[in-house]
Amino acid sequence: MSDVPPPLLDPIGFAVMKHAIDAIVDEVAYTVLRTARSEIVKDVMDFSAAICDADGEMVGQAKTIAQHLGAIPEAMASVREKWSGRLAPGDAVILNDPYLGGMHLPDIFMFYPVFANDAVLAWVVVICHHTDVGGRVPGSNAADSTEIFQEGLRLPPLRLFHAGVMDEALGALIALNVRVPDRVLGDLHAQFSACTVGAREIGRLVARHGVASLRAHMAALLDYAERMARAEIATWPRGTFHFTDHIDSDGLDDAPVRLCVAVTVSDSGLDVSWDGTSPQVRAAINSTLSFTKSNTFLSVRCALKGDIPNNAGVFRCIRVTAPEASVLNPRSPAPVAARALTGYRVMDTMFGALAQIVPHIIPAAGEGGNTVVVLGGARTDGSAFIVVDMISGCWGGRPDRDGVEAITNPSQNLSNAPVEVLERQHPVRIEEYALVPDSCGPGRFRGGLGLRRSYRLLADEAVLQIRADRVAFAPYGLAGGGPGSPGGNWIGEGNARRTLPGKVTMRAVRGDLVTHHQAGGGGHGSPLLRDPLAVWHDVWNGKISADYARRHHGVVGDGATPDLEATARLRHDMEDIT
Amino acid sequence: MRIGVDVGGTFTDVVLTLPHGEVRLAKVTTTAHDPGIGVAEAVMRVLREAGVAPGAVSGIVHGTTVASNTILQKSGARTGLLTTQGFADVLEIGRIRTPDMFDLSWSKPEPLVPRRWRLGVPERIAADGGIICPLDVGAVREAARFFRAEAVEAVAICFINSHVNAAHERAALAILRDAAPDLMLTASCDVLAEIKEYERTSTAVVNAYLLPAMRSYLARLAGRLAEQGVHAPVQVMSSSGGMIGLGTAGDFPVFAVGSGPAGGVTGAARLEQSGDLIVFDMGGTTAKAALIEAGRPALVTEYEFRDGISTPSRFTKGGGYMLKVPAIDIAEVGAGGGSIASIDTGGLLQVGPLSAGGDPGPACYGRGNDRPTVTDANMVLGLLNPRALAGGTLPVDPALSERAIRTHIADPLGIGVIAAAHGIRAVANAGMARALRAVTVERGRDPREMALMAFGGGGPLHAVDVARALGISRVIISPMSGVFCAAGMLAADVERSLVRPVLTPLSALAPAALATTIASLRAQGLRELAGEGFAANDVQLRFSADLRYLGQSSELTVPLASPEMNDAALDALARAFRALYATTFGYDSRDPLELVTMRLVAIGVVDRRLAFDNVRLDPSALDGSQGLRAVYFDPHQPAVQTRLLPRAAIVDAPVAGPVLIESYDTTIIVPPGMSARCGPAGAILIEVPADV
Repeated sequence: MSDVPPPLLDPIGFAVMKHAIDAIVDEVAYTVLRTARSEIVKDVMDFSAAICDADGEMVGQAKTIAQHLGAIPEAMASVREKWSGRLAPGDAVILNDPYLGGMHLPDIFMFYPVFANDAVLAWVVVICHHTDVGGRVPGSNAADSTEIFQEGLRLPPLRLFHAGVMDEALGALIALNVRVPDRVLGDLHAQFSACTVGAREIGRLVARHGVASLRAHMAALLDYAERMARAEIATWPRGTFHFTDHIDSDGLDDAPVRLCVAVTVSDSGLDVSWDGTSPQVRAAINSTLSFTKSNTFLSVRCALKGDIPNNAGVFRCIRVTAPEASVLNPRSPAPVAARALTGYRVMDTMFGALAQIVPHIIPAAGEGGNTVVVLGGARTDGSAFIVVDMISGCWGGRPDRDGVEAITNPSQNLSNAPVEVLERQHPVRIEEYALVPDSCGPGRFRGGLGLRRSYRLLADEAVLQIRADRVAFAPYGLAGGGPGSPGGNWIGEGNARRTLPGKVTMRAVRGDLVTHHQAGGGGHGSPLLRDPLAVWHDVWNGKISADYARRHHGVVGDGATPDLEATARLRHDMEDIT
Repeated sequence: MRIGVDVGGTFTDVVLTLPHGEVRLAKVTTTAHDPGIGVAEAVMRVLREAGVAPGAVSGIVHGTTVASNTILQKSGARTGLLTTQGFADVLEIGRIRTPDMFDLSWSKPEPLVPRRWRLGVPERIAADGGIICPLDVGAVREAARFFRAEAVEAVAICFINSHVNAAHERAALAILRDAAPDLMLTASCDVLAEIKEYERTSTAVVNAYLLPAMRSYLARLAGRLAEQGVHAPVQVMSSSGGMIGLGTAGDFPVFAVGSGPAGGVTGAARLEQSGDLIVFDMGGTTAKAALIEAGRPALVTEYEFRDGISTPSRFTKGGGYMLKVPAIDIAEVGAGGGSIASIDTGGLLQVGPLSAGGDPGPACYGRGNDRPTVTDANMVLGLLNPRALAGGTLPVDPALSERAIRTHIADPLGIGVIAAAHGIRAVANAGMARALRAVTVERGRDPREMALMAFGGGGPLHAVDVARALGISRVIISPMSGVFCAAGMLAADVERSLVRPVLTPLSALAPAALATTIASLRAQGLRELAGEGFAANDVQLRFSADLRYLGQSSELTVPLASPEMNDAALDALARAFRALYATTFGYDSRDPLELVTMRLVAIGVVDRRLAFDNVRLDPSALDGSQGLRAVYFDPHQPAVQTRLLPRAAIVDAPVAGPVLIESYDTTIIVPPGMSARCGPAGAILIEVPADV
């Protein structure tokens, strides 16, 4: 497009360099996958890899966890403040403290400076979710902690590797403070190997193109992404756009947690203010400012159409503020381990505001984040078992098409545990894993259906823990679409079935059947505008009932086809009522 | 005399082997509406040109895209699915990942069976194989009535834990067969009985979905060939690079979804039987890469077949149809000769994934596409014949290439046409290099230690540059580069892949129990290959085991040194696993192991297999232009007067570059500073000096 000036550098060299940096960052990520010890890194792929320029701006990120996208700047600032000018080749600095730029304690960042001519040319950054970092609960991830000191070992920016060798004191300290030292140290070594691979490959680029050229190209890549983002935001309407969404509660207290956003679009980009958001809460769903920013950036990134590179240039035109001591910018020592839930709601709230700005892109709300089901106890032979299962959900209706059912939240890219593998490893039987008919929010484009999964306990007893949300505040619809149906938890079956709270910790005994329903997605557009053939196809296909079709869409029919005349009459009457 | 036929998007290629190693080639246009017409035409043409009677043909090997196209075009059977009650949605739920980050407009691929035709019936097998709830026979009969009433044509059956105990699946199969004899049926335990319900269900469903299309295509093809007097048995290439008979292909079409690209990789493995090799195949729309280690293609035990082009980045899984069947591990990128170059809104030069394909094709074809492609860049740089391609059959106009590049790339960027053309090549090469990295670096293999073997219409044009990008020093251009997939099929053996679930910690495994499993695999392998006409003496049995550290969720496949089982053999297996794990993942562990699956590949060795060592090409295939042409090799250097040589001119003595070797089906570039010489079977070897 000729209205955008081409980069000042040789355009060909620039395109080749972009490919080269993308390839390096992928290779860094693969090295983590190949060398990590823990399932959460290797199978669930909860890690990310990035390359930053000398100033710490992220030049490229591997296609790993989207939520880590904007998390690096604050942590990098802490690292540079403490270590600037004191690092040498082969050094690596780690950090996990949420109040120094981290996210939650299990996420340990590693920063590896790459030198050229005795000066830092770039940084390789690898973030891994570690299996355990100590604290009161295995996994260091409990939602019901009340201060960060219960959550595990806090690491300020510390040099873990010095000239390629692990610092003995720091290594021993970490090993003593975590439940599975082999895995944690193994994964830290994996992070280090990946960093050295990145540095080696950057070194090859320097050998081929020279330091000055690489510096110039990294700067150009950031400018390029910024230019693309600004060009697109320039087409957005000016003004301030508000939205409010809620988390049901923090689980210790019944009060809803409110998230309030105001997005201002101006000539200088976006200003995002979280004023009006609830104060920080007692339980561990507080989100540090860096995680709040990361999810805010991510939601804006999803609203941009173009194939913009995955780098920090995109975020130069976005400013984010959140009130001090709020759930989105907590003051130490507020606990933060289960902040993922709040991150999901930051996305939902941002999407609600962005839907007013780019209504042709943003979907209605999806399930609102995966539900976590934990069953732990002892088998008949006395050995311990622990099932940690994640139940994903759906996407809401889109401006031009239906939502998606049975899909990861867009801020993650999680998978699900196969039923046959779970049953083989644990004393539990999955009795149902299915879509929930009629759970979608109605709309011209309907939301995705929720999911249902039920567990029968085959051990004598177990502790059951469920972290679910969207039980009180259902996923919202947009543009006249209805909300999705809320989620829920149950125990027992038939007449003995009773409802459990959204967030619950309790004892379960042999034979108990525990069922979770994940919320359905909100609808987009008026349900009365939905194509009657599409409505009836859903009836034919068992995704909605004939009763739902009549009640929400005013569509009636018989057998394989809708009765279009009767539908038109019914819709006319329903419009009169509304 | 045997014939290999490869159906591509643009051309159907055919290779005929005559006695004494002589080989004849032909290309005809692919007949997309019914590819069998083109296949029969190609077969008849090559027979006519070689003066061979149809009755003299002893065998035909066929790489078909019928299975893959049936999925892409959603033209398969009206398919039903019978599951355990409570699990009818497993197929649609899938593994819930998305292939792209940040894209809120993405939709999951439509399940091949709508929810209405997915029926759960009461029955339940436990994880240990015990029966918790007997099969409700009445519910299965009711399902059969429903499927008939709904005019369903094919039905897949997959019950939870049937990989441990298939009794209920077999019973349901018998009831359906009895109650609805017209239904085409697939039970998951008959395809591959492996743990993980979604993967098994999806595989069985894809198989059922393909049954009518594959059966009718194969029947029509055999009929057409018979009409012309060709009565030789037809075999189909499987995704794993072996051949399967028509009967097997008709019952298990899911094994032939990756049939097309498998031939080239198999041929490459046969051509270069020692050392490790990266295979690089560049066509009109995409470029593909695969890895061959010690003469065998690297396989995966499952893959996703998806709409569009699969990206080389393995982070972006999700969004395809899961097939839990062995297949050659192929990475693909959207960079082919027809890939279109453009400038995006940020001012960056992009190549692909949009492609002009073969029709309308590159701008120089003058068939209505005026946007520049990779082929146009090669044309402007003097790398391609400026009058006609494809052995003179396809006239081209370089002025159209130049205009396309000037208008869409050079002028907007403010650079010259030659610089822009170099840029298009550079960006395409960088994209292709990533496909090669996906099958090497991302698997823990160092490409610099390997040779690169290139074929396909575009492979030899880009091989040297791609090799340089990865630090590879040896490039091999295959013989018959433009039709190598068809030739490679003639080098394949008949193969059958069988599995038995074991799922037992290695420490708890009695060698005798494993010996029983191996014996049962052996018996089934020999029985199935006897059905393909192989006596036990002509069958090779290759046993392997999938192992993992206890508690992990993915496995590595380790070959068994010997099928004899005792404690020492189990120890050897454990050691082999740990060594392979260390190579692949970079570290070793003393954690306990679990044996997940025993595998057998039963191979029927084809005695008249194409041996590349004594291939003699018909002289016209080695013919080509001679003379001089101005070629732009280096972005910073002026054009170089470059010799054109026919392929036949490359013999044992090295020929110093710059040289262009033009032949019927491709052009090979030997840049300045490099040299080419003749390799085995008419391959051309290029040594790439290390720079940087």
